[in-house]
Amino acid sequence: MAPTENRRDRLCDRLARLESVYDSIISVHDLTVELGGNPVLRDMELTVSPGEIVAVVGPNGSGKSTLLRCLAGLQPATSGEVRVFGEPPADDAAFWRRVAMLGDEPAWYPGLTAREHLELMGAVHAEARMEVEGALEVFALVERADAPPLNLSTGQRQRLSLASALLRPSTLLLLDEPERGLDAGFRARLADLLEEYAGEGGTVVMATHDHDLAGRARQISPSGVDA
Amino acid sequence: MSGADVAPGVDTRSVRVVRAYLRSRGPARGGLLDRYVAGFGLAMLAAVLGHPLTTVLQGLAGAADPARVSAGAALLALALAGFLAAARAAGPVMLSAADASWLLPSPLNRRHLLGRTARVLFTVAVAAGLLLGLGLIAVLGVPDQLVWRLLGAMVLGVSATAGGMALAVLGQASQPWQVWVTSATVALLVAAVVTVTGQLRTVLAVAASAPLSAVAVAAAVAAASSALLVRHAWASLDRIPTRTLVTASTRAGHVANAAVGLDPDALTWIAEDNHWRARKLSSRRWPALPAPLALAWHDWRRVGRRPGRLGTMFAMSALPAVLAQAGGAPVTLGAAVLAGSLAVAAVSVSGARRDSDNPALSRLLGVDRRQALAARAVLPMLLSGAWATLGLAALSATGGLPGAWWLFGLLTAPALAAAALRMARRGPVDHSMPIIDTPGGAIPTGPLRWALTGVDLAVLGCLPAVAALLSPPGPLGGFLAAQAAAGALVLVGYVVRNRG
Repeated sequence: MAPTENRRDRLCDRLARLESVYDSIISVHDLTVELGGNPVLRDMELTVSPGEIVAVVGPNGSGKSTLLRCLAGLQPATSGEVRVFGEPPADDAAFWRRVAMLGDEPAWYPGLTAREHLELMGAVHAEARMEVEGALEVFALVERADAPPLNLSTGQRQRLSLASALLRPSTLLLLDEPERGLDAGFRARLADLLEEYAGEGGTVVMATHDHDLAGRARQISPSGVDA
Repeated sequence: MSGADVAPGVDTRSVRVVRAYLRSRGPARGGLLDRYVAGFGLAMLAAVLGHPLTTVLQGLAGAADPARVSAGAALLALALAGFLAAARAAGPVMLSAADASWLLPSPLNRRHLLGRTARVLFTVAVAAGLLLGLGLIAVLGVPDQLVWRLLGAMVLGVSATAGGMALAVLGQASQPWQVWVTSATVALLVAAVVTVTGQLRTVLAVAASAPLSAVAVAAAVAAASSALLVRHAWASLDRIPTRTLVTASTRAGHVANAAVGLDPDALTWIAEDNHWRARKLSSRRWPALPAPLALAWHDWRRVGRRPGRLGTMFAMSALPAVLAQAGGAPVTLGAAVLAGSLAVAAVSVSGARRDSDNPALSRLLGVDRRQALAARAVLPMLLSGAWATLGLAALSATGGLPGAWWLFGLLTAPALAAAALRMARRGPVDHSMPIIDTPGGAIPTGPLRWALTGVDLAVLGCLPAVAALLSPPGPLGGFLAAQAAAGALVLVGYVVRNRG
């Protein structure tokens, strides 16, 4: 059997297993978050099934990033319940081995090139989703592979961040405005990559202002209502 | 735009007018009472320090100890090299961020605009020169005529630092002068090494016993040479490229913000980022290691990519031995070794610092924090252990700390690695913490707590070594066993205390 078919079979098995274990990867019930006394999220309800792509859309300040932080266990809820993989999310290694989150630009390690950051990402995860060379090509970073991330443009750094998040294996991908700094061509490519990820059994929840990206996902507003 | 392109009619008065306008729009200047308080404070300082200073100066009278002259002169050469390097790293000519943004690209006379900075640089050079002169007289001794020899040494010191600062300014204005700055720094370092080996003992002996007339001639020649360099540097202010000034001003702004603001750790970030941004790297394959070690490998690679810094760090391990030759007490020597090895450990924990300040990448990597911390302790442990062992071995060899003291180098390494990791992972200064009023003045507990974080663990983990230093000379076996246990306990305790 060809290696690609092998991988596809493994992924289908994984998706089936996930669906049998969890009816929903994410379940949010009656979630209210107040920041500095102001309600940012109020009585939110949300359920996300395995393999789904969910786009959280809404104007600035509507609570999109706060919702993602709640799902990542980085923002405590004022009231209500958040469950990810059937448990309250916890900011620990066991959780982050299953969840990849991309918010603001990460602090790149000094003295490493873009390629070495991806190599490091591949080295710490037993089964990387992509080869480093493949990721550099997919994210159009081949020519800048030897540059320190600080010397890349904003868009290139965002592509490197996305490459890091998509190279590693994960079950849930949390993305906060992944289109930030990307040109129109790559935004369309990103939508394909996310569909590919979901096709392999991964679940995506992203906050976005990009209509095309949101158009290829189930759209919700931070109030929990389908947009 | 070059400063030479001055618009007609734009002269020194224009700069004064602009500055006066800016002052009038800024916060009100201190009133008469503020000036009185400042003046009174200075007068009190002079009154308090006057007597001890006179005692110190009178204590300098007499011939210097010949055994300590070489080491002392080497330390002075190192200090001057450090001054040159610091001046070059700082810019040294720079402006405030606002002036660099608004006044630098204007048609104002560049030399007049930079005049205030030039005066500050000169004042700094004079202050450093006076200290250097004091050091010179302490090293060479005063066989006769204390006041005149002190004056001569001060003139020599100020000439050296003012000339050095002028060289740094000239280096900012043109590339060929940068070569001179580098050559002067290297020459001083070489002189320090040659001096500490004792090969210049005769020259130093001649200098120490030189007649007053020879000192006067030397001071006059040095002052004249320095004045020439300063004049040349003043004339070159026009020629410093705008880009160079903006870069220096921006860097100084970041550093000032970090230093007086909330996060001194930002200085490390700025230095690191500036260094790597200017380097051309070539990617190398990541070794196949277990996840925590693969993560920690980043620090190994980063340290390996700066072999010059690594070499300089290890060359500095001879410094405690030089201090010993200059007459340092055993406690001072031990403290120098511990402080040096802690500093060496601290430069190899960059990954922990980044992850602590911004954990986004570490969350993507998903490595257990406790395991990552343990893996990241290996490099600082090796480096600090090697540095301390070398430093202590050099001290044993030169008679500063005779015996098997070098064993403490290896045994203190785990505690120093834990301390370096704790320093790297501390948060910004908490300025909301209370200020304690004491008879000696107000103590802000936020910065104090920040400064002690990490050092506390080093002191705790090295207590047996410190106790051995403070005890009368005797067998070290018990202290060594206690140090082995304390070092290991501190490291294990620190790692285990961190949740996964």
